[in-house]
Amino acid sequence: MSYTPQMQELIKKVEATRPERVARAKRGENFPALSLEERAVVLGKFHPDYQEEGRRALRVGPDKGLVVPEEVAKVMESRSMLRPEKIDLSKPDYDTDILILGAGGGGTSAALMATDAGLKVIMATKLRHGDANTMMAEGGIQAATQECDSPYYHYMDTIGGGHFTNQPDLVAALAHDAPLSIAWLEALGMIFNKKPDGRLDSRHFGGSCRKRMQSSGDMTGAEIMRVLRDEARNRRDRISTLEFTPAVEIILDESGKCAGAVLYNMETREFFIARAKAVVIATGGNGRLHIKGFATTNHYGATMDGVVMCYRVGVGTTCLPSTQYHPTGVAYPEQNVGLLITEKVRGLGAHVLNIDGEQFCFPLEPRDVESAELIKEALEVNKAVVTPTGRYGLWLDSPMIDLLHGEGTVRKELPAKFIQFERHGIDISKDPMLVYPTLHYQNGGIAINADCETVVPGLYSAGECTGGLHGENRLMGNSLQDVITFGRRAGISAAKYVTGGVELGKLTLDHIAKFEKELVDAGITDSIIAPILLPDYSTDEVSARRLAEARQESE
Amino acid sequence: MSAPKQVATGDRAILPEGAKTIPIYVMGKRYEVPETLTIMKAMEFAGFKFLRGAGCRGGICGACPTVYRKEGDYKLYFGLACQTVVEPNMYLAQIPFYPANRAVYDIEQIEPLADAVHALYPEIFRCVACNNCSKACPMKVEVLDYISAIKQGDLARAAKLSFDCIQCGMCASRCMGELPQYHIAQLVRRLYGKYIQPGAEHLQKRVAQIESGKYDGMLAELQKMSHAELEKIYKEREREPDMVPLGTWMPKDVSHL
Amino acid sequence: MKVSYYPGCTLKTKAKHLEDSALASLAALGVEIRELPRWNCCGAVHSLADDDLIHHVAPVRDLIRAKDEGSERLVTLCSMCYNTLARANLLMRNDEVKRKTINDFMTEESDYQGEVEVEHLIPFLRDVIGWDNLRAKIKVPLTGMKIASYYGCTLVRPQNVAIEPVAGKIMNEFVEALGAEPIDFSANTLCCGSYQVLAHPDSVADVVGRIIESASRAGADALILSCPLCEYNLLKKQEELLEKQKIGRRMPVFYFSQLLAMALGLGPESYRPDMSDAASVEFLKSKNFSVESAAVQA
Repeated sequence: MSYTPQMQELIKKVEATRPERVARAKRGENFPALSLEERAVVLGKFHPDYQEEGRRALRVGPDKGLVVPEEVAKVMESRSMLRPEKIDLSKPDYDTDILILGAGGGGTSAALMATDAGLKVIMATKLRHGDANTMMAEGGIQAATQECDSPYYHYMDTIGGGHFTNQPDLVAALAHDAPLSIAWLEALGMIFNKKPDGRLDSRHFGGSCRKRMQSSGDMTGAEIMRVLRDEARNRRDRISTLEFTPAVEIILDESGKCAGAVLYNMETREFFIARAKAVVIATGGNGRLHIKGFATTNHYGATMDGVVMCYRVGVGTTCLPSTQYHPTGVAYPEQNVGLLITEKVRGLGAHVLNIDGEQFCFPLEPRDVESAELIKEALEVNKAVVTPTGRYGLWLDSPMIDLLHGEGTVRKELPAKFIQFERHGIDISKDPMLVYPTLHYQNGGIAINADCETVVPGLYSAGECTGGLHGENRLMGNSLQDVITFGRRAGISAAKYVTGGVELGKLTLDHIAKFEKELVDAGITDSIIAPILLPDYSTDEVSARRLAEARQESE
Repeated sequence: MSAPKQVATGDRAILPEGAKTIPIYVMGKRYEVPETLTIMKAMEFAGFKFLRGAGCRGGICGACPTVYRKEGDYKLYFGLACQTVVEPNMYLAQIPFYPANRAVYDIEQIEPLADAVHALYPEIFRCVACNNCSKACPMKVEVLDYISAIKQGDLARAAKLSFDCIQCGMCASRCMGELPQYHIAQLVRRLYGKYIQPGAEHLQKRVAQIESGKYDGMLAELQKMSHAELEKIYKEREREPDMVPLGTWMPKDVSHL
Repeated sequence: MKVSYYPGCTLKTKAKHLEDSALASLAALGVEIRELPRWNCCGAVHSLADDDLIHHVAPVRDLIRAKDEGSERLVTLCSMCYNTLARANLLMRNDEVKRKTINDFMTEESDYQGEVEVEHLIPFLRDVIGWDNLRAKIKVPLTGMKIASYYGCTLVRPQNVAIEPVAGKIMNEFVEALGAEPIDFSANTLCCGSYQVLAHPDSVADVVGRIIESASRAGADALILSCPLCEYNLLKKQEELLEKQKIGRRMPVFYFSQLLAMALGLGPESYRPDMSDAASVEFLKSKNFSVESAAVQA
């Protein structure tokens, strides 16, 4: 399905303005960026986070009173899958040093560091090892490796991009460790885009003052995940990976230390007790909650399980109300809708244009600002393209890239994206793409410190499920760096804690009854069961025919 | 242009007004689904809820390889369910997992030589160049070419040729020599990344600076700054020009490098 | 005329030096052959039976690559590759039914009818360069060297792909063109034992002993050959195998292209002597050929 004749007509307008825009770009002239004051105005008016509608205050738990999106509130105020009184915790099915929940980039990094310390690890994950948002991150990973850059500027860009709402110790840890993480990945055999002399290829991105984005084609996250997973598989004597077996509750011991988790084999519907001296939560984000009905770039299992489980043991959150909308999700063709188009496209110089082929924003604003500007151009200025399936789209002028950097750059720098569009008859080195903001990242989450500790002893967390690092807006390339840096830190911290000697007392799930009593006391009677594990995309017609009231054998 | 009348929300598929439905056969059973949907969304429209066979839903994780035939066509087709658009009378089955032999090795000890790869995967010489692997690849990787390159001793070429691999296992499922191509390629890429591709010297220098504690004071200072102080510095940051080559530009203020 | 070059896996890995000598020689001769940009195994390890057509898919695919390059000829240095490719080519030319089956199987490739000519480098030198032309380019005639040419199996068997009907002529002509004296010997097509060296080293020791003794009795100073596997058994394993036979004598062994490079006056970086073989090194020194800075890594 290539562009329709009507759309091809519109593309001519983009082509008409292109030579002049390319000439300007070659002279280093940019569309003016917004001042901090102007940013505040466009965010307030157009960013979904700033709208009151569809948000409400939490009625229970450590963050009672915090206003979050309705979809988030629903899972935070949920009931457990388990009936704790029917569970015998005295005979664990698994016993290990460190239990890691989630097997994406963060969980796997933690597992590798824990085994480096000589410990035994169980990694339990909902889908397969590596089916995670890490795998999907395309554009790159930040680290101040170049001579004109330093952790100081990485810190500045990150905290400025987050509107100075970030948790400082986390930002400092990230900026400090980022080059170390890159060196670790290089030593593990990750392939980076490099100059012939070995210099890491680095680029600008939205909100950067230095070229700090390292990449591996446009499959940076996939390359990271492949390498980490391969290394974990080489250590199968120390890391056992349980796939399709997510955790559904955290287990404490009688003294309040974290002591393991209840795992659920989704294929056989059996529950297992896993006892561990320390637990690392690395369960990722919440895109599959589809806040405000937005499409998402996230993987199938991104349902915020870790935050939900932690909330029930009294671990609160940081920056939870904030969600990142990626400014450039696919708007056409329909089968790719919501999929991410990496910010690298704009980093390589592609302009964002309206229906008349005109620039209306600086293409490399921080993501929330960029998204708000696109929404504004569609809803207020009314200059978006409307696709045949009724979706808004704005042009992302990818053909500029070859004009700026030489023939073949699109194919070389964006191979996966090129294939993805080529499948549908669109050559993105010749024709622009249609984009619109899409739900991309859970900015906030589990509250941790720079050692990945939560308020519960023995309970650690890392990656997208945590909050604070990015403040209310994350910069490109800080998410991959987040999972590596904090995944490693979580593994190291948990290992240090376990090696220091941990004596577990009697295991308990009493916190579930306590939390559910809070729900009742708050008058919440209609709460759902969570973690929801997987989203349900059944149509209304199919759901209606499922006859929820039909008798089930298991009842 | 007018605003959309009916908009799909989230990932739930809709049948837009006036859109046609087409028959597809999921493991032999007929379902009517809207045209233009991907196999994955079409199956969900039909009422399937995936447990296996769905991962990133973005064409990169390799969880949803699907094999299909079209009515009246002897050929076997391969695609990712999340990327492939349904066609009328498509007979499809997902292959969410395919077993393949994987050799355990120590990346620190192994030598970046073809001999080392051959020793771990002697079955590579069972390749008869039938090319079924390349034909089965949903990412259009030239699998036979990278296997050939490994046999020819050119690991760098194999690493590059296999780079787009998503490890879905379809190559292995079709191999008459019973090779685990994608595991072999993973090994070769790591050898390439670690030993063959030149190392980043500026990175090693930066690592040494960090380990010497050079930035600890700067970062501590930043953490203590007020919002207003930070904002002032943030606004005054010099921006590295877009078109200058890497490693050639330096800011005026070098006090925090 | 456009000529593609098919190296074969062994000449790219274990026997890289042999390819180097040939390519350097061809460059010196001003002959331009281009390595196929895409190629796979010639199929040698699995094409020795013809009752299963899948064995021909590999060599036919290589022939298709050559055809798709627009080449009329495909030259190879390794007699095993030559043999496999040539036999597959004959099959594609002569057997309509099998040709169709193979073409149908490889739907992703263009159809192939045997359009490309497969040649081993020695006949190629004779037919394309010509012995006289070659002789005219010789800078260091190998005068006084007594060279026995070992054909092994795959240059002359089966008959329909043999580079000549009876072994003994063309390689002698080649040797003569280089200025050396060809030595006939009876074991020139006795099988070297091939891959049996792994499973049955004793049997291979026996045939290697017979080949070396036969050449030696005929008065040869050195042996040349054109297959890296023969080279492995007759050169790299010679000492070990002959010891099994309690034979003390050592015979220098060269790939034909190494001799060619020497005669063309190229340096040791081109003819690349095997420094691990004392007999060959000794021989070269005795004939005033340098062995410096040219070591083949053992």
